[in-house]
Amino acid sequence: MSNVRQISVFVDNKPHQAAGVMRIIKESGVNLRALSLADTADFGIIRLIANDTEKTVDILKAASYAVNVTEVLAISIPDTPGQLSRVLDALGQDNVNVEYMYSFLGTSDRAVSFVIRVDDNAQASEALNRCGIIQLTENDIAEM
Amino acid sequence: MEKYWNKEIECMSREDMKKLQDERLVAQVKHVYENVKYYRDLMDEKGVKPEDIRGTDDLHKLPFLSKADLREAYPYGLLAKPLSDCVRIHSTSGTTGKRVVAFYTQNDVDMWEDCCARAITAAGGTEDDIVQVAYGYGLFTGGMGLHGGSHKVGCLTLPMSSGNTERQIQFMRDLGATILCCTPSYAAYIGETLGEMGLTPDDIKLKAGIFGAEPWTEEMRRSIEKSLGIKAYDIFGLTESSGPGVAFECSEQSGMHINEDNFIPEIIDPETGEVLPEGEVGELVFTSITKEAFPLLRYRTRDLCKLSRKKCSCGRTLIKMAKPMGRSDDMMIIRGVNVFPSQIETVLIEQGYSPNYLIEVDRVNNSDTLDISVEMNPDQFSDKVKDMQKQERELAGAMKTMLGISPKVHLVSPKSITRSEGKAVRVIDRRKLHD
Ligand SMILES: [Zn+2]
Repeated sequence: MSNVRQISVFVDNKPHQAAGVMRIIKESGVNLRALSLADTADFGIIRLIANDTEKTVDILKAASYAVNVTEVLAISIPDTPGQLSRVLDALGQDNVNVEYMYSFLGTSDRAVSFVIRVDDNAQASEALNRCGIIQLTENDIAEM
Repeated sequence: MEKYWNKEIECMSREDMKKLQDERLVAQVKHVYENVKYYRDLMDEKGVKPEDIRGTDDLHKLPFLSKADLREAYPYGLLAKPLSDCVRIHSTSGTTGKRVVAFYTQNDVDMWEDCCARAITAAGGTEDDIVQVAYGYGLFTGGMGLHGGSHKVGCLTLPMSSGNTERQIQFMRDLGATILCCTPSYAAYIGETLGEMGLTPDDIKLKAGIFGAEPWTEEMRRSIEKSLGIKAYDIFGLTESSGPGVAFECSEQSGMHINEDNFIPEIIDPETGEVLPEGEVGELVFTSITKEAFPLLRYRTRDLCKLSRKKCSCGRTLIKMAKPMGRSDDMMIIRGVNVFPSQIETVLIEQGYSPNYLIEVDRVNNSDTLDISVEMNPDQFSDKVKDMQKQERELAGAMKTMLGISPKVHLVSPKSITRSEGKAVRVIDRRKLHD
């Protein structure tokens, strides 16, 4: 299984809330590999992948943030037209429901990386394998 | 085995109690008429003379006193004894309008502390107990009242006052306090802090808590009992009538016994002032029949509740008052519907949320808006936005079922709503700014 652990943090939809989370992480010396923010009128959810999941969760919890860890898939695809729809088609064929996805910077400028949150990781992973899409492990991401 | 502080009074037969009340009321009306010009004028205006009051059956003939009268008579207008006979002053926080100032003779202090001693005994307190008083000390009656009661019972008394929660817990652990006295919102906060410090109820020796000075719900009681590993008892009182101890809860936890030898309760229709029969909900009115310095007759508390003479399993015969639903002045009228903060608290605890919340009422385009900020439950946190929005919708739905109107629910971060060490401020009504 090549699932990657993603940390989510609840923040109020007020100025400086997301910045506060970033500052705490920065001060702890943890490196962030991927980051996205989803927000509503009331609150935001920061999703991130760090090079040290346990430490990041501990420091955020110590600062009274609501935190949870979910397993997601990470992929790397060539930065050429049609690649992303190939991924979505592969998942769609297997009826895997994509909750959300976001891109993050990889090491190569000829490839792009995505975090994909689905309802069934095992099935999604199989569908991606079948189409020859490269899945990244937590180690791969930590070493980026 | 139920313990009583004053068994003779607390278990007195109804006939004997009525006789005692009759005698005391007649003497009190005479004392007030002779010494308080403000009330004498009210009685004269109504055409009632002290001789017309021959017992409790004549109580309804007397004029009411309201908070407005207390403001009008501020500060000395209702004083019934020379200041040289008074030994103490307490005061309300005076958040709305002018504050109320109450005076006490030594006998008044003794009576009040005796009432608090009954409450502590009913909560299982004896001279072997260590009572941690985490009510504020000072002009507020909570601290000094329970402090005095604790002394009377002979408990070892820890006069902590409110605040510095970690130190409260440290003392609780180091000295082995067995009974905690504070506001329910502060008790909830202490329970929450205990958990945050990585401690459980097994790490402290508390067995009981006596909580009052603000309305609280049955759900909040269960939640405090769980977080501190105690049995939580309600206590009722007003600065106007001496302080906490006017009524107190026994082991049955189904309403508070009123110290009828000192305070005669009535329930009235808040609109007409008519006395309602036992069991009906209305405004609670108290007549102090033993107080010397500040003896209020037929004082309208604005608390809405009901009375019951149903036999209590604890053996006390003192009449019981139900937990007040809230003050008539806590009640908000939103889109024509009566809403009490206690109803919102009930829903929150039932749904597994923290009882820390903030109600904001406003008027937009001539229509009332109700916004409730609620601390999200970290155990139910999901990385999916739609899951969190569903929680908001479900909570709003449960609120609508309880209140009859739809609020907007906003989930906010855990611990982001200010904790209270005394009386909690839960409502911001901005409609007044527009009037
Ligand atoms: Zn009882």
